[in-house]
Amino acid sequence: MRPSPAWAVAGLCLLVTLPLSSAQGVKAPKDDPAFIKKAALTIDQNVATWYRRQKLEVPAVTDDATFLRRSFLVAIGRIPTAEESRAFLEISDPGKRLQLIDYLLASPGYSSHLSNWTFDLLRLADGKIGSTANNEPYRNWVRNAVADNMPWDQFVHKLISSEGDGWDPESAAVGYYTRDRGMPLDNLANSMRIFLGSRMECSQCHDDPFEGPDRHDFYELAAFTHGQGSVRQDLMKPLWDEMVKGDGLRSPEYGMAQVLWDRVYGMSLSGGGAGRIELPADYQYRDGKPGEMVGAKTPFGKGVRMSEKKDEGNGRAQLADWFVSKTGTQFAGNIANRLWKRVMGKAVYEPADIYVAAAKTNYPELMTYLEQLMVELQYDQKAFQKVLLSTRTYQFATNPDTSVVEGGDDFHGRKIARLSSEQIWDSLITLAGGDPDKKQRRTLDDRIYVGGKPVLVGKKTMPQLSKEVLALKSEGEVRAYFAKFVADIKSGGGGGGGDSMMMNSVKTYNKDAQVRASELPSPAPRDHLLYLFGQSDREVVDASSREPNVGQVLSLMNGFVQRQLVNNPNAHLYKSLEGASTDPEKIRRLYIAILSRPPSEEEMGWMLDEVKASKQNGYRNIVSSLVMSSEFLFLQ
Amino acid sequence: MNPSDFNSHDEFTRRRFMSNAARLYLGVHLFPMFGNSVASAAPTSVGASASSQAKYVIYLYMNGGMSHLDTFDPKPKKKDVMGPLEAIPTKADGIFVGQHLPKTAAIMDKVTVINSMNSTQGAHEQGSYIMHTSYPLRGTIKHPALGAWVLKLGDRLNKDIPGFVAIDTSADQSGGGFFGAKYSAAPIGNASEGLQDSKRPGEVPKEDFDRRLSLADKLNEKFHNKYPNADVKAYEDLYREAIRLMNSKDLKAFDLSQETQATRDLYGTGRFAQGCMLARRLIEHDVRFVEVQLGGWDTHFDNFTAIQGRCKEFDQAYAALITDLEKRGKLKETLVVVATEFGRSPTINVEHKNGRDHHPNAFSCLLAGGGVKGGYKHGESDASGNKVKDKLVSVQDFNATIAQALGLPLNTVEMSPSSRPFKIADKGVPVMEVFA
Repeated sequence: MRPSPAWAVAGLCLLVTLPLSSAQGVKAPKDDPAFIKKAALTIDQNVATWYRRQKLEVPAVTDDATFLRRSFLVAIGRIPTAEESRAFLEISDPGKRLQLIDYLLASPGYSSHLSNWTFDLLRLADGKIGSTANNEPYRNWVRNAVADNMPWDQFVHKLISSEGDGWDPESAAVGYYTRDRGMPLDNLANSMRIFLGSRMECSQCHDDPFEGPDRHDFYELAAFTHGQGSVRQDLMKPLWDEMVKGDGLRSPEYGMAQVLWDRVYGMSLSGGGAGRIELPADYQYRDGKPGEMVGAKTPFGKGVRMSEKKDEGNGRAQLADWFVSKTGTQFAGNIANRLWKRVMGKAVYEPADIYVAAAKTNYPELMTYLEQLMVELQYDQKAFQKVLLSTRTYQFATNPDTSVVEGGDDFHGRKIARLSSEQIWDSLITLAGGDPDKKQRRTLDDRIYVGGKPVLVGKKTMPQLSKEVLALKSEGEVRAYFAKFVADIKSGGGGGGGDSMMMNSVKTYNKDAQVRASELPSPAPRDHLLYLFGQSDREVVDASSREPNVGQVLSLMNGFVQRQLVNNPNAHLYKSLEGASTDPEKIRRLYIAILSRPPSEEEMGWMLDEVKASKQNGYRNIVSSLVMSSEFLFLQ
Repeated sequence: MNPSDFNSHDEFTRRRFMSNAARLYLGVHLFPMFGNSVASAAPTSVGASASSQAKYVIYLYMNGGMSHLDTFDPKPKKKDVMGPLEAIPTKADGIFVGQHLPKTAAIMDKVTVINSMNSTQGAHEQGSYIMHTSYPLRGTIKHPALGAWVLKLGDRLNKDIPGFVAIDTSADQSGGGFFGAKYSAAPIGNASEGLQDSKRPGEVPKEDFDRRLSLADKLNEKFHNKYPNADVKAYEDLYREAIRLMNSKDLKAFDLSQETQATRDLYGTGRFAQGCMLARRLIEHDVRFVEVQLGGWDTHFDNFTAIQGRCKEFDQAYAALITDLEKRGKLKETLVVVATEFGRSPTINVEHKNGRDHHPNAFSCLLAGGGVKGGYKHGESDASGNKVKDKLVSVQDFNATIAQALGLPLNTVEMSPSSRPFKIADKGVPVMEVFA
């Protein structure tokens, strides 16, 4: 037995999260380790019952090394550093697996990794083709909400119901709608899909020929969110029309007007939801006429209705209430199943986009319990994942065979799967530069840009500008404000400067920058490794791909891996060789750093031969081959 | 080039198609009680025939839903439909295009316009999916993209470089689906940079490079034995392919810097233009299927400003591609496709700054080269471009037409791992009228 100082040396301090239950009063379940433990046990019991019923043997629990790597990748989206691996593998404390989970959930890497997942779900891209408006304050809001572990029901409620200034942190969630400006129906269909697992895309245009929603149902639902606009943008319309006419487009003032038009007004959201909507001109069924006004009505759950007689202005808030608290167990079940998939690899039912009532899944008791658990944990995503990560089910050994149950997990050990694009990138930068979570997060670039250059730096920020402009009450006020804005910029408020903060702007991006995927432009530019390995373009829901292709292999052989890792003597992973005096020890350390496990005897033989044959170059060749190995790319 | 002048490898696959097609064709006639709509609607020349002149496909995909009204199906008489946009005449009699496509107008005598496209899918993900695969999106299966089908049924012409290349395209639209990674596209994010990382890093000696690969190969073989998973296997195979590629003399196919200034000027400087130029280089090196995407067509908001920008990106590049291919004698054997997931609504949405919404009921796609007619308009939408009036072409029919141009067998069934049958264009029937 080795003493535990290894942990302390690595600065991991695993013990800080040990329960202090006696010292405290009654805790909410989400904060109560005893509750979390019991919940994990309940899940395992449900799974065990299923095994008994199927007359199957319960799978073995995986070894420490696999558990370590799996947990890092699942919980924080990167492989462990060599120091972290050694610390975990070298102690033999029976509680170390649970302690590791605590360590990971407390790491900043947790929110980085969950942000990628959230960006995929929300289709959160930074920019928009053909407009200088962007989603950066919204992205920043989501990133912060994930980092603060905002409960899922609050998070969704804010996305659905926010109104006002796109730059104000209080209302920046309006980006959820302004991202889809002009396409409120698609936006709504996506909301139903991602928050409730209800597919309504088709009923935007026609009735479902089977038993799904009708077009009428869809319009009744759309009535809740109808009437979205920009906050008083019409006050600037005459000025804007003058700017875009004739030679105006080439004047320096045009770029300044664009700041107000696109990036202030264009990123604001007015209209709390009319609660009524006209049926479209091509409405084709007997239950309504084109142009007929219909009032809002929810398609299932505890019904919410609004009148077609007047514009109530709070439809989105009512819809948000319905989503989170009036859809029975569907809201909780949808997120529980999505997070199960995220942690366990496969969802309880799949596709996770199409909700299945607990009773109709292959595992009714389990699914019922997960829905209930989500509510008991008050939609705390981190606590819910902590329960899952604490189960024995999560620790099952890897099963090489495909699922025996159609449409979901067969709980027969974990399925092997290629890492996501982001997991690969975040792991590579860990090898190249050490723990990336020690680096500062990207902050919101709140400077005012005119023609790609920041102006009024140190004098005014976008949030200040936005607040002032949106408060203007008349066309005259807007004209006067704009005239002053132009004068201020021309009188020397321009010029760069102020760009000292690391990564505070996507404009300072470089494709080898060793920062987490979550802090890079979303999506990463197409010459980036993230694109090659299938990062979602964030135009449609969950569009990432894990399909292999030849570009990926070329990149591993000749690209970033070689530049920043193999052939870079300063790469972090070579630091793990310090103090190792024998060849076997060096090889062992490289294995730990790259694959988070020691080499087998056979592998040690191959690698010793390599060192013998290639001398110093042998180590580089070993590093290169380990990173190129499938074991590096796949989660076991 | 003589149509029979294929290399030996292609000769073999071609003969195989002919015999498959003949068998199926005969089968239909021997058992008339099985005569279905496909058999009755299909013209007698289905299968490899005079209509099958194309060896390559350059598939230009307008991501987001290209407005048919503002591009290839304008309605000059309907001011309420056209808004501020005007139509201009083209080099082809009776064919008009939107005002922002002047260079394209000048080569329309080489193009077939299909104005009677119809899709069953009105959302982007589903719409793009069915265009690329011929099948509706399902949660339980990944269908192969068209380029993957072409390789599966037609094989590669040049074994050293990828047979399917996707430029500026989402990975989920260019995958091999259940055919596996072997058939998925080699992705190129930035055409100007070509195929990234295709050269051995200068500082790595050849000997070390080989040693690395052989070590990795040993490790991979072990891992694959432990987990006999298709994707694990795929990486093992891809290493071999990557090496072949790196050693290939055809690697220069990916290098745009070898183009002359005159050619660069012809295409212009845009990102899409670089993609088109690269596509031409690639087919010259026997890459069978190249997709290039141009995004930003989802013009819900401020349609007319957006359209102007998109057309500017498209116009010069497309006209240059057609002109360049013809000059090099490649147009005859290269089918140039312009496709999109749906059109845009005739109703102009004033609330959304004159936006246009999705419109799968009627839209336009283009075909040029590869044995199709020039200056030909197929099908028609109604007076306001709302519905198909004549000769409806479904997504599957469109893809069947592409397959037909290549002489690929429409009736060959490929089974998915779950043993369900799939065909390159599902039940689509090729539009034979488009062939010259």
